[in-house]
Amino acid sequence: MTRWIKILEPLSIISLLGCAIWIFYGTPTESEMGFVQKIMYLHVPSVIVAYAAFFVVFAFSIAYLWKRDIMFDQIAKSSAEIGEVFCALVLITGAIWGKPTWGTYWVWDARLTTTLLLFLIFAGYFLLRSFTRERERAARLAAVLGIIGFLDIPIIHKSVEWWRTLHQPTTLFKVEAAEAKPAMPMELLLPLLVTMGAMLLFYVYLLLLRIQMEQQYDTLQELIANNEGG
Amino acid sequence: MKSTYKFLIGSIIILVVLAALSIQGLQEMTVFFHTPEEILKDANTFENKTIRIGALVQSGSVDWDSKNLLLSFRITEDSQHFIPVVYEGIKPDMFREGQGVVVEGKMKGDTFYAHQLLVKHSEEYKLDPKEHKAKKDYYKTLDKS
Repeated sequence: MTRWIKILEPLSIISLLGCAIWIFYGTPTESEMGFVQKIMYLHVPSVIVAYAAFFVVFAFSIAYLWKRDIMFDQIAKSSAEIGEVFCALVLITGAIWGKPTWGTYWVWDARLTTTLLLFLIFAGYFLLRSFTRERERAARLAAVLGIIGFLDIPIIHKSVEWWRTLHQPTTLFKVEAAEAKPAMPMELLLPLLVTMGAMLLFYVYLLLLRIQMEQQYDTLQELIANNEGG
Repeated sequence: MKSTYKFLIGSIIILVVLAALSIQGLQEMTVFFHTPEEILKDANTFENKTIRIGALVQSGSVDWDSKNLLLSFRITEDSQHFIPVVYEGIKPDMFREGQGVVVEGKMKGDTFYAHQLLVKHSEEYKLDPKEHKAKKDYYKTLDKS
């Protein structure tokens, strides 16, 4: 794992820097919004990373409840922390984009409210963990909340279709887009997709690093407990 | 036994209150705005109540009085039901004819008096061939101001 961390560290950071330079100097300016549209390159990849991170929480929480292997809990916890950071980034970049585009930082429409809910559920996830002393019990309770919390994501994704929202419908992953003209020109789409890839790489790096820390911490706790016992 | 009972009753009360609150909140959230058709159909119910209407700005209906900061225009969703809107304040940069907007305010008679004007953004991203030079144009606008 240490080897992967060492490879991913420069790789993800350099590719993110490269994307930033590309976004600001190499991509054309969108004609309706102008320069403000550049925020999309941080907002949308952050959404993807938050979704991915919470999906990892979901998958490894189920795995933990099934196999009761503490490693699965270490992975879920680490991923939840990163997901929460990127979820905050989504809310912040969205607000900064919303002010010049919509005319407001925040509205209580379905898309924004369900996204805030996701952030709050995982804030609760960490509170729950810190209030529960016993390691196994904390892992068990957190796993249940992690699974429930993830179920908010399909609701967020579909919220713009199910309800009337201020937030625009999905541009990417549009099923009917194949027949119509693409909702985003290639000159804007390509840098977005590449930035997404770079962000996901960065996520994997952070995740591995965090899991390693978590394992070292648990090993240390075990050593202390053994020392006191003997 | 008795404390378990109290705990159970307490939790049920909290759950019921929470459920009631979230259902109410959800109704408000799921209908972020009404359409002009809904408003005109049921004019009496909406009279003098703070509501949001979402629709498109009718082309050619915009009148912007920059001295008094008075913006008036008509909105429609289906080109059949029109509502005239009056908004006092700064015209948003993204405000355009044919653009989707969400206005918050009150119906007074036939006119909607908005205190907030939000501009919807469509899911489509466009490139103007003239502005394809990207960065250079941006500096130009900076020079002018």
